[in-house]
Amino acid sequence: MTLVERSFASLETGLLLLPAAVFLAGWFIVPLAQLLLLSLADPRGAAAPYAELLGNAVYRQIFLNTLVLAFNVTWICVLLAYPTAYLLTRLRGWLLGLAVYCVLIPLWISVLVRTFSWMLILERNGPLNAVLVSLRVLERPASLLFNNTGVVIGMVHVLLPYALLPIYSAMRTVEPRLLLASEGLGATPLMTFRRIYLPLTLPGVAAAATFVFLLALGFFVTPALLGGIHNLTAAMLIDNFVNERLVWPLAAAASFCLLALILVLLLAASRFLQFGQTLVAR
Amino acid sequence: MRPGPSAAGHAVGSAVLAFLFLPVLAVVPASFNNSSFIRLPPQALSLRWYHAFLADPEWLRALGTSVSVAVLATALSVVLGLMTALGLDRAPPRLRASIVALVLSPLIVPVIMTSVALYYVSRFVGLHGTVLGLAMGHTLLCLPFVVINVGVALKGVDPNCQRAAEGLGASPWRVLRTVTLPLILPGLVGGAAFAFVTSFDEVVISIFLSGSQAKTLPVKMWETVRVEITPVAAVASTLLLALTVLVFLAVQIARKSNRMGRSYD
Repeated sequence: MTLVERSFASLETGLLLLPAAVFLAGWFIVPLAQLLLLSLADPRGAAAPYAELLGNAVYRQIFLNTLVLAFNVTWICVLLAYPTAYLLTRLRGWLLGLAVYCVLIPLWISVLVRTFSWMLILERNGPLNAVLVSLRVLERPASLLFNNTGVVIGMVHVLLPYALLPIYSAMRTVEPRLLLASEGLGATPLMTFRRIYLPLTLPGVAAAATFVFLLALGFFVTPALLGGIHNLTAAMLIDNFVNERLVWPLAAAASFCLLALILVLLLAASRFLQFGQTLVAR
Repeated sequence: MRPGPSAAGHAVGSAVLAFLFLPVLAVVPASFNNSSFIRLPPQALSLRWYHAFLADPEWLRALGTSVSVAVLATALSVVLGLMTALGLDRAPPRLRASIVALVLSPLIVPVIMTSVALYYVSRFVGLHGTVLGLAMGHTLLCLPFVVINVGVALKGVDPNCQRAAEGLGASPWRVLRTVTLPLILPGLVGGAAFAFVTSFDEVVISIFLSGSQAKTLPVKMWETVRVEITPVAAVASTLLLALTVLVFLAVQIARKSNRMGRSYD
């Protein structure tokens, strides 16, 4: 390529990339920068909103609750996703198609619709309580809604596909002959699983856990609808600052605390993450 | 030869798949309820709440707003996403990495934070409570899917096809229009479909940006459900669900027929 041709090609590349870059700069980066300024431009001093946020026991507790909730949702998701992803690797033909649809269709469906479904199912007079009482698991209908139980069930349901897909793609790369070799050398199935299969699929588990944990930290709709007054999450606190109490600097500071938490975790886990794969799978 | 106690694992797996899919359907029987509150399973089926939905101008206006916003957001995402994917395809690695990071970043930043930031800024530039503001907000979340889907499709294009067209004297624009675009169409359509559904279903950005003027269907649902669990909300949910499943199936069928068509080549 001549110099002229090359500079023409890079001009073309630049022109193709420019519109999206301008759009994202103007409608994403600048608004976030404004939010940062808002958190710093407090008349009481630059760090005042952050000091208020971290100094207040109630706010600290809400951030702690968010972390505990995200942690619980994460281990439940991974525990359920592992055998399910394994089942997917064993299925063939239309059964595999059906199973894949069971995972993908919920990903497409609105979080609001899925959460509303759980409100109907978990209600005191709802079908789940009716079944549990008629099976004599429960003596009388239990409160499953507007408390921690409801929030965890709803969030696990929404986030489970994000755990399934990375584990499934890790399992698909396991060379079946390795398992045969292990068996041929006299290993019991449990030994083969523990020494070969589990270590080989562990990166997928780590990616799944990171993914679910990060998404869970920012959850808003599901805990807001399924939780009670004791289930405030960081996202609900931010909403409360903006829409109820109109304290913008605190909302901005809380947002950046949440973002800092997410970025630190993301950095620590970045070697397990394969964003592209999971996004394409949708 | 299978690792671990498979039978138990498969039972858990099947149960989890059922857990993923079945609960979503609860809104469907709930929407065909005939009593004034939701009973599951319903004692008798009726279209009573569908009539109520269709007779309420607020729900209808929300539905209309949702359609306008989703169409506009899809158009924005497709145009920006197609250009970006084409640009990324020929960009030097370092530029590519930073543009990809920029495009994906709205999926990493918590949506609540993006919403608050957009709410704050949109009031100063007159985009709060407008269809355009909402569509632009949704585009942040839709764009990554279009860029990635088109990017994957572009990787599958044999560069010799484009070179052949160039060698035969086609202008770059003509190569794009007659060779590249038809080849990446399935990826583009898949990305566009997901963009449409993402925008149509989006709640959090919409809650903060819609104001009183441009309430979308999910915003109206959110406001309703926070106060009471009413069968009309189940009707709205069922409509959202049906639309999503239809778009999903259309994409799957289009992909399958495309693959069959190609197998004759």
